[in-house]
Amino acid sequence: MRYGGDNRGRLLIIALLVTSLFLITLDLRGVQVIDGLRSGTQTVLTPVQKGGSWLLTPVRNFFSDVTNLGRTRNEIKKLESENDALRLKLLNRQNADAQLKELEGILDLAGTAGYEVVNAKVISYGSTSSFTQTLTIDAGSSSGVLTNMTVLSGFGLVGVVKKSYQSSALVQLAADPAFKIGVRIAGTQQIGILSGQGTRSGVLQLLDNTTRIKKGDVLLARGSQSGRPFVPGVPIGEVTKIDNSPGAITQTADIRFYADFSTLAVVGVVVSGSQTDPRDSLVPAKPLPTPLPTVTIFVTPDAEPTASPRASN
Amino acid sequence: MTLRRFFLSSPIFLIIFLMQEALISQLRLPAGGFNLILIVALIWAALSTPEIGALTGFGAGIMMDLSQSSPGLLGQWTLVLIIACYTISFLGYGNDNIRANPINILLLTVLGVIASQVLFLIFGILLGQEIGTSRSVIYALAGSLFWSAITSPLILKIVSSLHANIFGLVRRI
Repeated sequence: MRYGGDNRGRLLIIALLVTSLFLITLDLRGVQVIDGLRSGTQTVLTPVQKGGSWLLTPVRNFFSDVTNLGRTRNEIKKLESENDALRLKLLNRQNADAQLKELEGILDLAGTAGYEVVNAKVISYGSTSSFTQTLTIDAGSSSGVLTNMTVLSGFGLVGVVKKSYQSSALVQLAADPAFKIGVRIAGTQQIGILSGQGTRSGVLQLLDNTTRIKKGDVLLARGSQSGRPFVPGVPIGEVTKIDNSPGAITQTADIRFYADFSTLAVVGVVVSGSQTDPRDSLVPAKPLPTPLPTVTIFVTPDAEPTASPRASN
Repeated sequence: MTLRRFFLSSPIFLIIFLMQEALISQLRLPAGGFNLILIVALIWAALSTPEIGALTGFGAGIMMDLSQSSPGLLGQWTLVLIIACYTISFLGYGNDNIRANPINILLLTVLGVIASQVLFLIFGILLGQEIGTSRSVIYALAGSLFWSAITSPLILKIVSSLHANIFGLVRRI
């Protein structure tokens, strides 16, 4: 029997649709109650997410080990001889070491530029079912993390704080399609606008079409007034491909971000920028080519030529 | 009666919402993973009457809108899920060829997940949101299709049992 519906049913559907449209309208108009609802939900969810993060750490470590099975076979053999408690301790230690390394990178970067940073752990990644790139960190307004603050990793820019709650914050990643940042190219100081594309690559649009860029050029944040949302000088990525289409109004290029957004565990939020612009001091050093050992053989001919074996026979 | 059953099912959705936010979003599955609340809501709707389906979509949509990772306006997922859940319930209601066959329910659910995401995308474009490149959108949709196809069969039995307990139906899938 095909459903025909009745008046009460139709009324319910209409009421639900109208309610959802009403909510959209309220949110579009920026009504405070809506923000309060989301803040309240996030405040309630933060402890649950922290608990989930703690609970899933061994599982994540397990998947990481499976992924790197070939590389860590020797290490796994060594671990097999140890008991379960020691293995768990080691896994936790590895996790802490990796976070420490990330933290060192952040502090090096922040120290060179003179930024004051608040470090935070990543407690959740946003679902891509909504076509966005976000993550949640465990530091919020109680730690001095406010909206529109720059977020860094040891390699460079990660994103910007989009929403700040009491003990957590939502970070919009630089890979997010809605993300845009004013950039300059280290050295030549050409300026442009970088947009996220939903992947680890971004698109740079130069404002001046007369100048030229080249592959490998490093992009730095231009910075905003009072250092929010972006502090100046933060390394972002490097040029991987240039689009020099004839007739194009502006010159564009593909950029690969320095930060690997899928492996972030610890990030730093810049709560206070430096007094002076760090200029190009944060440009990452180019990897030095490994010198190849060379062997030189000197051949000194004998003074008297020796007779060949055939000749002696 | 309808509202009473709706409120009876709300704790289940609340637990699923907490699981999604606290556990599944931490797994960092390749290709974006899946959205458990979306899948459960669509299976629930496929087993219900259109009115219950719409109410389920409303409740699940509100939860998805309140998620901190939701980029859209409050009400955007609600609107999408009301339409999607109502449509799925409407397609299956009174048609035993669909309801009695788990494969049809799974097919409806997986297609419903993709259709919901496309609808969300369309509303997003209409409301002026950035959606990224077509490549990233296709990648996200393909990932969602893959994970929904894997997850739905695993949870169908549990969801149908819970649904049968609340709605007092003898038939189970």
